[in-house]
Amino acid sequence: MNAIAKQVWALPGGIHPPENKHQSTASAIAEPFIPTELVLPLSQHIGSPSKVVVAVGDAVLKGQLLAECQGNVSAAVHAPTSGVISAIENRAIPHASGMSAMAIVLKPDGKDQWRERQPWQNWRDMPRDDIFARIAAAGVIGLGGAGFPTATKLGFDPERINTLVLNGTECEPYITADDMIMRERADEIIAGAQIMADLLQVERVLIGIEDNKPEAIAAMQAAIPDSLAARFIIKTFATKYPSGGEKQLIWILTGQEVPSGRIPADLGIVCQNVGTAAALYRAVVQDEPLISRITTVTGDAVGQLGNREVLIGTPMNELLEAHNVDWQKADRLVMGGPMMGVALADAKVPVIKTTNCLLLPTRKELPLAGPEMPCIRCGHCEQACPAGLLPQQMLFYAKNKELERLEQQNLFDCIECGACAYVCPSDIPLVQYYRFGKGEIRREQAEHEKSERAKARFEARQARLEAEKAEKEAKRQARAEAARKAAEAKKKEGSAAPAAIAKATSKVAAQSGPIDIAALEKAVASAQAKVDQAIVKLNEAKETDPGNLPAYERALGKFEEKLAKAKTALTEGKAKADDPVERAKRQAAAKAAGVGPSVADLEKKVATQRQRLQKIAEKLKAAQDNGDDTSAIEKGMQATQARLNKAQAELDKAKAEQAPADDVGAKAIAAAKEAAAKRAAGIGPSADELRGKVAKQQERLAKIEQKLADAQAAGEDVSAIEKGRDATAKRLEKMQAELAQLEE
Amino acid sequence: MPLITLSSPHSAKPTKISTVMGTVLLCMIPGFIALTVFFSYGYLINLALAVVTALLLEAGSLALRKRPIKFFITDLSVVVTAALLAASLPPFAPWWITVVGTATAVLFGKHIFGGMGQNPFNPAMLAYALLLVSFPVQMTTNWPVVDVYVSIGDTLRAIFAGNVVDGWVGATPLDYYKLNLATQTADEILASSLFNGWLPAGWVWVSLAWLAGGLVLIWRRIITWHLPVSMIATLALLSLVFGIDSDSFTPASIHLLAGATMLGAFFIITDPVSCATSNRGKLVFGAGVGVLTYVIRTWGNYPDAIAFATLLMNFAAPFIDHYTKPRTYGHTKAHKGHK
Amino acid sequence: MTEFNKIAFDGLWKNNPALVQLLGLCPLLAVTGSVVNALGLGLATTLVLVGSNAAVSLIRNHVSDAVRLPAFVMIIASLVTCAELLMQAFTYELYQVLGIFIPLIVTNCAILGRADGFARKNSLLPATFDGLMMGVGFSAVLVLLGAMREVLGTGTLFGNMELLFGASASSWELHLFGEQYPDFLFAVLPPGAFVLMGLIIAVKNIIDAKIEAAAKAKAAPVQAGSKRVRVTS
Repeated sequence: MNAIAKQVWALPGGIHPPENKHQSTASAIAEPFIPTELVLPLSQHIGSPSKVVVAVGDAVLKGQLLAECQGNVSAAVHAPTSGVISAIENRAIPHASGMSAMAIVLKPDGKDQWRERQPWQNWRDMPRDDIFARIAAAGVIGLGGAGFPTATKLGFDPERINTLVLNGTECEPYITADDMIMRERADEIIAGAQIMADLLQVERVLIGIEDNKPEAIAAMQAAIPDSLAARFIIKTFATKYPSGGEKQLIWILTGQEVPSGRIPADLGIVCQNVGTAAALYRAVVQDEPLISRITTVTGDAVGQLGNREVLIGTPMNELLEAHNVDWQKADRLVMGGPMMGVALADAKVPVIKTTNCLLLPTRKELPLAGPEMPCIRCGHCEQACPAGLLPQQMLFYAKNKELERLEQQNLFDCIECGACAYVCPSDIPLVQYYRFGKGEIRREQAEHEKSERAKARFEARQARLEAEKAEKEAKRQARAEAARKAAEAKKKEGSAAPAAIAKATSKVAAQSGPIDIAALEKAVASAQAKVDQAIVKLNEAKETDPGNLPAYERALGKFEEKLAKAKTALTEGKAKADDPVERAKRQAAAKAAGVGPSVADLEKKVATQRQRLQKIAEKLKAAQDNGDDTSAIEKGMQATQARLNKAQAELDKAKAEQAPADDVGAKAIAAAKEAAAKRAAGIGPSADELRGKVAKQQERLAKIEQKLADAQAAGEDVSAIEKGRDATAKRLEKMQAELAQLEE
Repeated sequence: MPLITLSSPHSAKPTKISTVMGTVLLCMIPGFIALTVFFSYGYLINLALAVVTALLLEAGSLALRKRPIKFFITDLSVVVTAALLAASLPPFAPWWITVVGTATAVLFGKHIFGGMGQNPFNPAMLAYALLLVSFPVQMTTNWPVVDVYVSIGDTLRAIFAGNVVDGWVGATPLDYYKLNLATQTADEILASSLFNGWLPAGWVWVSLAWLAGGLVLIWRRIITWHLPVSMIATLALLSLVFGIDSDSFTPASIHLLAGATMLGAFFIITDPVSCATSNRGKLVFGAGVGVLTYVIRTWGNYPDAIAFATLLMNFAAPFIDHYTKPRTYGHTKAHKGHK
Repeated sequence: MTEFNKIAFDGLWKNNPALVQLLGLCPLLAVTGSVVNALGLGLATTLVLVGSNAAVSLIRNHVSDAVRLPAFVMIIASLVTCAELLMQAFTYELYQVLGIFIPLIVTNCAILGRADGFARKNSLLPATFDGLMMGVGFSAVLVLLGAMREVLGTGTLFGNMELLFGASASSWELHLFGEQYPDFLFAVLPPGAFVLMGLIIAVKNIIDAKIEAAAKAKAAPVQAGSKRVRVTS
């Protein structure tokens, strides 16, 4: 092997915390078990959450697609075992905040039945697009902890990429998942790496493994076939935390630095975890989507330490029970390692695709930090920082909230590895200060953007108002011009005024709607009722409250005035109702109401046409007698005849439409429609109709009287029935009065 | 038991400030042993006096500033200041010199600026400078003579009652060499009982003891190599270059092994609060101290210049920090100063 | 408080030129090595202050704004020359001890400051009184500092008073610590003066703070629960 190819670059800074890995590497990877339920959050990866494609109650097979990709950066979710979808609801997810998110809950049926799988004997023969489709459909994401969808990463333009880095570093203490997978499944990893290398068409594959994993190194070395030995290079380097970070590993293996704010692809490098490579192999070659992962369960509070292949979605408490956790001793439940892991509040959350380790330390194992002391500017933090930052200075700026200077210190290049806080003798919570600083800076940026948008909106509004004002001004001026011109013109002609006035009045008239006779009658009725009430009150007052008599009399006078007004309005309205304009309006209104012109209107139309026809006939006769040219008149007569025929036809049709309602309900509805149409058209109900109504009302009254008698006999409460009886009687009286009025 | 939900990191090195300070104190033990064996019990008496005064005044200041006393006193930082001062003062100086010096260091050197972590100057050196300026006689005439044994009782009387016998005190090698440069040649000067060939008698062991302690400090990662190496290297370079003419300039061996050079390089300038932060900055700081030490010793009025050189470089530390920021990963060059 | 009371309180305490306005610190720190030096300079400064305030107040309505500062400095310089000649005549040894700091009274910002800040805007009597009170306040601080530095630096008090008050005053000298007192040189040097000055200002601030706290406590004490806390959701 080429000596230059084996060169590694030393990581600046870094720390050497106690490794604590031996506790969990004593035994092989344990077999997966099927828990009582599986909770599969829809968002276990970076990017958009997946979209559910199953429903509650669906029976699913192992490996079946449960939620598909949504958008360009997304991953799918599959059933880890066969069973039934018992719910799709919000469930607690393993997040520091203890929040819930949408998840698919699967109840296993114990059969563990696979869906149909189509393994590929030789994936190299398959077209590239098919391979990509399979990867995308398999839900493979970065299993190292970040969870970036692998399909997206492998989809980079091969022209750009020349190196594939496999991250087998696992620098954090306690975690041994990658170590074990390299020991036991090195061939799968190498096979997966070959797929990646082919898809990205890279020149070389660099596998970085820390030197504290000799067995893993040996296994990986053995798994690389001789044909690939030149292209697949394993580089081992001194153990140091945090060499496993993507940027740090790229420096160690290639001596190149990822520019701040860019991604490794800009250097032509794609970095993947060894676990991801193994999962990729299974997905592409064996058509097994990502449904399980290797998780380390470790810590002094755990009875049986080691690694296990865990089904995605297994509740953590069940997994921990399987490893004999002593909950009395457990001080924290850390998902991840002691340097960057997330402390969870509750174990009843599921294992997700990025859960590489569950660490349950006792208080003695990972003691709490002491109280914060003043910074003694010892500089140990700066010695330890792998990113070349000045943690001391960032601390001072963060404490004093000098956000601008904090950003200038390259705060956003901090990977929050915790090396600085690890070495600080003053127990200062440095990483927490930086997180605070980052949050404050982001919040300020968001507020700034918001105020920029508000400013833009405000300015747009001001502009719009200005434009409107200008427009109004222009219109007003134009009108003034026109008026001036018209006035000049009027002065010239002298007769334009009355015409203009007439035009104006007709315009006004045309703008108002048709006159509603029914409403006017109602107004008269209510005014009358009020007058009656006032009279009653006055009579009462004469006896009970003689002192205030003038007031009551005044009230009575007012109501009588109102009644008179209403009555005049009604008579006027009735007179106007026959106005052809009004009739037209009514017909228009009726048409608008969707009710065809009422029969009455049609009759009137027919009558009008007949009249016109008669007139034209007389005219014709007169013209014929005089010997004038009659062709025009004859034409007019023909047109009028045609109109008459049409109107007659419409009338017949309308009449016919009234009849066909056979069943009582339809009939009633038709009747009501008719009545409504008539009312809209300003025609009150005819005498016959009224008589019919009166008869019906009398029937109703008789019924209620009967009911009342029965109730009284039974001794029940009769007040409601009495009220009903009174109302019905009143209505009957009213109708009879109307009828009487009509018959006059 | 409810699970603790603090955010990462969950693990820390069990180093506290008291660990750092305690290690420094342990590494000063060889030096104090050498001083006592080769010179005088006065160093130990001064040490006791200084430590007691320092603790009392620290407790008083913390009470005045309404801070928790036990919490801050147990970080041992004031004990280190007292020890440094006791190692720098002449052992036969009257007791009130030590007390006034310690009081200055604790009150004017530390608490007036805000206590732990806030002092811009090395408190022990501030006190030394004040004492030297205020009581020049007592500070320059009480230096011990090598191989003259003074019993502990006599030493106590000398310190507390002022009975200093002439035979017990004399000039230091640096002082002696500088004073006689004008009139004698190097060989004549070196013939004095103060010297063993080119080495200063007695003081060479003390310096080597300080050196040993300092190397242990570097090994324990309490300090880094940058400050001591740059200071000693600069001083060595200057004194070698100029000392070629040893009749006009003190030779390098005297510069490095007499006086407070080794004590200064490993224990005094490495006071974390008042020195530069970044490694590059430390190199500049150390070099500056070396240059100033040589200049003041050779052309200045004082025989030993570590205190003044340190104080002057403490002034410059923020300026050095501005211009020696490390380059961050992913950026092309370091960011200088701040806008 | 009447106007004159207020002027007196201002000059002596509230607006003391040395402790509050921090003006004239150069002579203050340079010549207050002993009480007699301090007193001599203080008296000279007071004399000049009174005279210059009076003179400036008299001409205040006749000098235009643009040239007022040069005019005031002219007045002050003349008065200082008078003071210098007086000292040269009557206290020659002290004149020699104080040396250049007597003519430097011209540049003492306290004097120009009062001329421009007070005498220019007030009538003769208040201005003169203000000059007197400012001068006395300044002198008081000078003497206090001088006493502290003399006691710490030389172990004596009122040494060499004959330079100011004549031969009989040499008996006023007190030796406080006996002959063996090692002179604390630091107190006599300027850095010590700065530190002691700082301590005096600190003590004054403590006294002010305590007076304020006492005044606040004496004012209507707030009953627990009498003020409602406004809670806005």
